[in-house]
Amino acid sequence: MLELIDVTKVYRGGKRAVDTMTMRLGPGMLGLLGPNGAGKSSLMRIAATITRPTSGKVLFDGVDVVARPDALRRHLGYLPQDFGAHPNLTAREFLSYLAAAKGMSARSSKARIGELLELVNLTEAAKRPLGGYSGGMLRRVGIAQALLADPRVIIVDEPTAGLDPQERVRFRTMLADLAADRVVMLSTHIVSDIESVASDIAVVAGGRLLRRGTPDELLHMARGRVWDLLVSPAEADAVRMGYVVSRMVRTAEGVRLRVISDAPPSPGAVPAAPDLEDVYLGLVQPAPAPSRAMGGLR
Amino acid sequence: MFRSIGGLALGDFRDRVRRPVYAVTLLAAVILGYLAVPDPQARLVIMNIGGYRGVYDSAYVGTATALAAALWLTLGGFYVVRGAIERDERTGVGRLVAATPLRTPAYLAAKFLSNTMVLGSMVAVLAATAAVMQFARAEDRAIDPVALLTPFVVIALPMAVATAAAALLFETLPLLRGGLGNAGWFFVWLAVAVGSLSERAPFDVLGARHVVEALRAAMVEQGLWKRHSSFSLGLTEEPEPLKSFPWDGFPLTAAFLGGRALLVVAALAVVLLPALWFGRFDPARGTLRPTPQQAAEPGLPPAPAYRGLPATAPAYGNTFGRLLAGELTVIVREATRWWWLGAAILAVVGLAVPSGSVAAVALPLAWVWPVLLWSRLGTRHQSDGMEGLIGAYPAPHRRLLAEWTAGLAVTVLPGLAPLLRMAASGDAPGMAAWLGGALLIPSLALAAGILTRTPRLFQALYPALWYCAFNGLAPLDFMGAVRDGGVPAGPHPLAVAALAGLLLGLTLLTTTVRGAAWTTRRA
Repeated sequence: MLELIDVTKVYRGGKRAVDTMTMRLGPGMLGLLGPNGAGKSSLMRIAATITRPTSGKVLFDGVDVVARPDALRRHLGYLPQDFGAHPNLTAREFLSYLAAAKGMSARSSKARIGELLELVNLTEAAKRPLGGYSGGMLRRVGIAQALLADPRVIIVDEPTAGLDPQERVRFRTMLADLAADRVVMLSTHIVSDIESVASDIAVVAGGRLLRRGTPDELLHMARGRVWDLLVSPAEADAVRMGYVVSRMVRTAEGVRLRVISDAPPSPGAVPAAPDLEDVYLGLVQPAPAPSRAMGGLR
Repeated sequence: MFRSIGGLALGDFRDRVRRPVYAVTLLAAVILGYLAVPDPQARLVIMNIGGYRGVYDSAYVGTATALAAALWLTLGGFYVVRGAIERDERTGVGRLVAATPLRTPAYLAAKFLSNTMVLGSMVAVLAATAAVMQFARAEDRAIDPVALLTPFVVIALPMAVATAAAALLFETLPLLRGGLGNAGWFFVWLAVAVGSLSERAPFDVLGARHVVEALRAAMVEQGLWKRHSSFSLGLTEEPEPLKSFPWDGFPLTAAFLGGRALLVVAALAVVLLPALWFGRFDPARGTLRPTPQQAAEPGLPPAPAYRGLPATAPAYGNTFGRLLAGELTVIVREATRWWWLGAAILAVVGLAVPSGSVAAVALPLAWVWPVLLWSRLGTRHQSDGMEGLIGAYPAPHRRLLAEWTAGLAVTVLPGLAPLLRMAASGDAPGMAAWLGGALLIPSLALAAGILTRTPRLFQALYPALWYCAFNGLAPLDFMGAVRDGGVPAGPHPLAVAALAGLLLGLTLLTTTVRGAAWTTRRA
């Protein structure tokens, strides 16, 4: 349905934000994971026809949307990472304006806006000017606008930023529901957001696609590479300097560490079941260079 | 403290000079320097005294270029440096700085210093251009650095300092920090800078009168001064090329230098004065609108459990009317009660003035009142942070046309009373000119907004254009205010309408080109 083929984006100044990335997306949810500056937002903007790629193609149902962006825009719900709204309009007026911009008829947009405001729990605040909304409320307006035209493709960039835990859970449930028969592309660096809903995960860093697969496939990749160990505080520093450490808890007995490594970091290390955070760190974070401290641990 | 001020000012200056627009401002300075020393056969001149100019030596070239800088950098430079505090507010840097021990006067001093550095760099470019122009015109190739640079130091730089201070003062005053200040600066400049050329003005703000005295004395000595000889500074087209005479420059008298020093001291006082009311980026003080992150979460009922997606299927139809209604709602909500009161008074004026004043007075007044509303055409999505969101919506041209039509409505509404009067008196040529003007204004505003993504260009450009028309400059009369035998003396309404169409076409083309190519500098 949506294909990104050899997409590259080079910004002024030569920064290569996206580097020959290819992805084919059908119904379901693709979770994009990556550190800050990995190129996630650039990729999302390219997929949402906001930014023209330096090279490569973006096809929607076979149509080149770099040349004909409206072919996708009519079926697209896009929630950017940062956005504002006309501060003097109410949420209902703002959504009504955007519905008109989508080309929706007055009757259907009125009914749908009411339903969407209820969905994002803003019915009570619908008549207040958006200038008085908090960041979380504005985010919910953004979610509502993305769903205005019942889109076939939904692209959401860091959608849960600013939402309280209850709203986050509701939003994730809704995304999972939407992904049943639509393309949903979700970008975040909150691993738990992706872990709970995405059936397909892509890890990107430095503008390149590092790995793509189902959560099980990615977890399988990290099996046998995650270790738990209990060390003294002095040894903990040495471990942190020599290995990728995904968790560290100070306890009365010492420091409990979770380490990602091909080999056991110390004789006392025990294998642990990997989770997606381990997979992610193992992929994007290079292991520190062996240091003198490592020698001390061994 | 001085180190903090210097560090902050230098950081701010670096940020500004790394923006592409800085190169454009320096290019403008070079062009101004070129115009200030025109070809000896040119008739388009910036400075003229009784049909004469000085021989192009260091003293005259330096003085003429410095005076041109003092006059035009004061107008244009204000818009160049404006926004130092607003940028800190928008980017959040202001809140970070406010949390440091840096005191408010020091912050204001740093911003002023940064403004001065930007304008000072433009003056420096002008001085370098003057040297090149003196050499290129080849009437006297011996460059005397003291004679060339002294006018820049005593004439142009004090004006740059005063402009930097005024820009800062305007930013700290709630009433002047927005578009009203941008539009109002043109009239302040007109009254203070241009007005000071008059011998009746209480203070020689530009320093031009002292120069004129020296020029006149030299001409009298050489028998060139006539009784009706006059001085002009600006940009005028003369009937014939200026004749030249040797001139040694103006004397640096104590009174003149004292006046220049007084201007700088007054500017410094203006800079520190806002410390009394500047809110230091605290939304609880002053009139800053809280950002969404700062806004308090109003009480909302607990979120109900998720019950599924909306049931209503979207249907599609013709939406231009609703887009227009949306654009009009945005504009109407921006207009305050005072704006509506003013518009109502102007409508009464339009209906009550004698018929001879309808086109000359009532219509121009009606068509300057909405300048701030027009100026936001084409810029609202950008200033409200919606560009990234709306960029993924289809049919950008339809939205643009709706915005233009809303701008047209804002033009038609205050112009209705004069139009009715013209219709009642059978002034068909006046009605045709009215129509041309009504089409041109929103087109110009939209084009300026879309091209620059800021309301500032229109806010600076339109009052100047309007002032020319209001003051009887027929070639620039886009609304039919200047009459010759009762008939509009300005450009033909069809020409004005064609220009409006051209500007609208340019706007649509710009949107098409940007279209899918909305690139952001963020990586």
